[in-house]
Amino acid sequence: MSDAVELRGIRKSYDHFVAVDRLSLSIREGSVYGLLGPNGAGKTSTIRMMIGITMPDEGDVRLFGQPFHREQLTRIGYLPEERGLYKRMKVLDHLIFLGRLHNLSEQDARQRSLDWCERLQIADWEDKKVEELSKGMQQKIQFIATLLHDPALVIMDEPFSGLDPANSVMLKDVLIDLKKAGKTILFSTHRMDQVERLCDSICLIDHGRAILEGDLKKIKASYGKNHVQMQYDGDPHLENCALIESLNNYGNYVEARLKPGADPQELLRMTAERVRISRFELLEPSLEEIFIDQVGKHA
Amino acid sequence: MHNVWILLKREYLERVRSRSFIVFTLLMPAFMAGSVVIPAKIAEMSSGGKTNLVIVANDAALATAVGHELSIAKQESELGTDAANLPPRIYTIEVDTDTSDAERDRLSQQLSDGKITGFLWLTNDALADHKVQYSTKEAGDFERPREMRNAIRTAVTKQRLAQKGMSETEVESLLTPITVKTVRPEKGKTGASSTEIFITAFAMVVLLYAVVMIYGMAVMRSVIEEKSTRILEVLLSSVTSKELLAGKIIGVGAVGLTQILVWVTCASLFSAPGVIVSRSEVHLPMISMVAFAIFFLLGYLLYSAMYAAIGSMVNTDQEAQQMQWPAMMPIVLAVFLMNAVIQHPNAPLSFWLSMVPFFAPILMLVRVLIETPPLWQIGLSILLMVVTIYGLLAISSRIYRVGILMYGKRPTLPELRRWLKYAG
Repeated sequence: MSDAVELRGIRKSYDHFVAVDRLSLSIREGSVYGLLGPNGAGKTSTIRMMIGITMPDEGDVRLFGQPFHREQLTRIGYLPEERGLYKRMKVLDHLIFLGRLHNLSEQDARQRSLDWCERLQIADWEDKKVEELSKGMQQKIQFIATLLHDPALVIMDEPFSGLDPANSVMLKDVLIDLKKAGKTILFSTHRMDQVERLCDSICLIDHGRAILEGDLKKIKASYGKNHVQMQYDGDPHLENCALIESLNNYGNYVEARLKPGADPQELLRMTAERVRISRFELLEPSLEEIFIDQVGKHA
Repeated sequence: MHNVWILLKREYLERVRSRSFIVFTLLMPAFMAGSVVIPAKIAEMSSGGKTNLVIVANDAALATAVGHELSIAKQESELGTDAANLPPRIYTIEVDTDTSDAERDRLSQQLSDGKITGFLWLTNDALADHKVQYSTKEAGDFERPREMRNAIRTAVTKQRLAQKGMSETEVESLLTPITVKTVRPEKGKTGASSTEIFITAFAMVVLLYAVVMIYGMAVMRSVIEEKSTRILEVLLSSVTSKELLAGKIIGVGAVGLTQILVWVTCASLFSAPGVIVSRSEVHLPMISMVAFAIFFLLGYLLYSAMYAAIGSMVNTDQEAQQMQWPAMMPIVLAVFLMNAVIQHPNAPLSFWLSMVPFFAPILMLVRVLIETPPLWQIGLSILLMVVTIYGLLAISSRIYRVGILMYGKRPTLPELRRWLKYAG
C-alpha cells in the first residue's frame, strides 16, 4: 500500500526560531499514526505544512503518492487544535457551508449533515444557532464538519483536549469505525497515554526534529520489557537496589524501571528471599518513558 | 473562484439576514426623512400662525406702507431657494402714532400679556439713526428681522422716490429684485443651481464617507471575530487566505452596496412628485451617479484592505480601536479638506490633494460633482487608486496570512516587516 502522507526533510523557521527542522516521515494508507511530542515541539507547524496552510522553507510534502496540490484538500478532514465555529450561524447552515468548501454539492452537504446529526444525537439542534449550543454539542458539530466529506485522510490536532468524557468515548468509537473503513488517521498530541492504544505507528518529535519514527510495536519491542510491577507482603527494601533505575513505591506495591542490562529474574530472586510475592509482571515501557529516554539521548 | 463564491455568499447572507442590518437599513431613511420633514413642518406651523404687530411711527402713512410690504413679502428659506410651498405669514397690523414713553410701557405690558406678538418702534428719530427696534418674545425667529428690514427699506425707498416725483410704476420696476442663479451647463439639459449642486455633493460625499467607514470597520471586526472564535484554521484547511480575504471584502462590500441601493430607492420614492417634502429638487446627473459608484467601490476596496490587515494583527475590538488610526486618519482628513476643495475646486492644491489615492474617494468625487475636472485628471486619480489598491491588497493579504494564525502579542513594526517576507 502507498503512503497517504510523505514528508521529505521539511523545514520551517520563523525569524531565528526553527519550528520544524528537516523532518521526514511517512504515513501508510489505512493506518493510525501518532505525531507525538511536548507542547511547542512543532506538531502543529508540521501539520500546517502538510495541508498547505503554510509552505515549508525547504523539503517536499507528498499526499496520496503525489506532490502536494490544493485539490487534494477535498480528501482531507482537518480538526485543528484551535477550533471554533461562527457563533451566530445556524447549525445546519454552518455544516452545509463547511461541506460546500470541501466540494460537496448543496444537497449532498445537507443530506450528510442531517445523517450525522442523527447519528450523534443532535438532530433536534439543527435549526438552533451555534451560540445556543453547549460546549460538548459544539464539539460534536466540529467532528461532523471534519468528517462530512468522507475524507480519506483525517488529521486531528489534540482531538481529546477539552473533551468531556462522553464525547471522548464517542470520538474514539467514530475513529475506530473510520479505521475499519480503511481511512488514514493522523493524531497529534502531547498526551501520549491517550493515543498509545490507538496508534499503529508514531513519530516522536522534539524541538522540531523527529527523534523516533516507525511502527509502534517494533519500537516497543526494541526496548524490551524492562518494567516490573510487583505486589507483596512486607518490605523488601528495594530503595538502594543496584538493579533498579527508578522506583515508584506504594507500600505493598511497586513499579520499577530496571537499569539497562539488568536481569529481571535476579530482581525476582532477590525480592523473593525477603518477602512473599503475590504478583510479578514484566511490562513494555510506556510511550512517555520511551520519549523521555530518547530526549535524554538526543540532548 | 468557487471557494470565494461560497465564502462571500455566507458573508453576505449572514449579514443581510441579521436583525441589526435590517433595522439600520430601514431606520436610516426614516431618520433622513425625519430630518427633512420635521423642520419643514415646524416652519409651516409657526408661519401659519397669526402675527399681531403694532407699528409705532410718527408718520402713519409710512407705517401703513411698511405693514403692507410685510404682508405681501414672500418667505425665503435660509438656502435662498424658492419657498412657495410655505404659506405666507398672516399679519394683523395696527398703526400707532403715539410715540411717548408711556405708550411704550403700555405696549410692553400688552406684549408680556400675550395680546400682541410684537411692536416695531419706527419713529422718525429711529429712522434717522438707522436703528429700528423690534420688541417681541419670539427673539429666536431669525427670519423675521430680515423680512422687516426689507419691508422698511422698500417702504421708505418708495415713499422717498414718490416724494421726488417718480410715478408708482417707475418705482415698482426700479425696486423689482434681481436674482442671480449660478448654473452648470450640461448637454441638452438646464443646469442645476450652485446651491443644489453643493447640497447634492455634500450629501453624496457624506454618504460615501459613512458607508466606507462602516463597512471598512465591518471587515475589520469580521476578521477579529473569525480570529477570536478560532474558526480560521478550520477554514484554512480548505481555502487559502487570499480566497478568504477576497470573499470577505467582496461579501461585505456587497452588503454596503445593497444598503446604498435601498437608501437611494427610498430617497427617490420619497422625492417623487406628489410626495415632495424637500424644497430643493435633488439633482443627480448621470455622471455624478457613475462617479459615486466608482469612487465608492475604489474607496471601499482601499480602506477595507487596510482594515482587514489591522483586524488580522489584533485579537480584540479594544486593541483594534487603538490600531485603526492609520486607516481612519486619511479619510477624516479628506472630509476636513472637502470644504476648501468645494470652494476652490480648480486650485493647484485641490488638484494635488485629489490625486492622493487616500483622499481621492472624497476629494476627487467632490470635484467631479462640483465642476467636472478634465477627464485626464479623473482618469489619473482612478489609475493611482487602482495601483495603490493593488499594492495595499498585496501587503494586506501577506499581513493577513500571517496575522490570522498569530494569537497573543500585537506585532511590532519590525515584526510586521518580517511577516511580509515569509514564504507562506
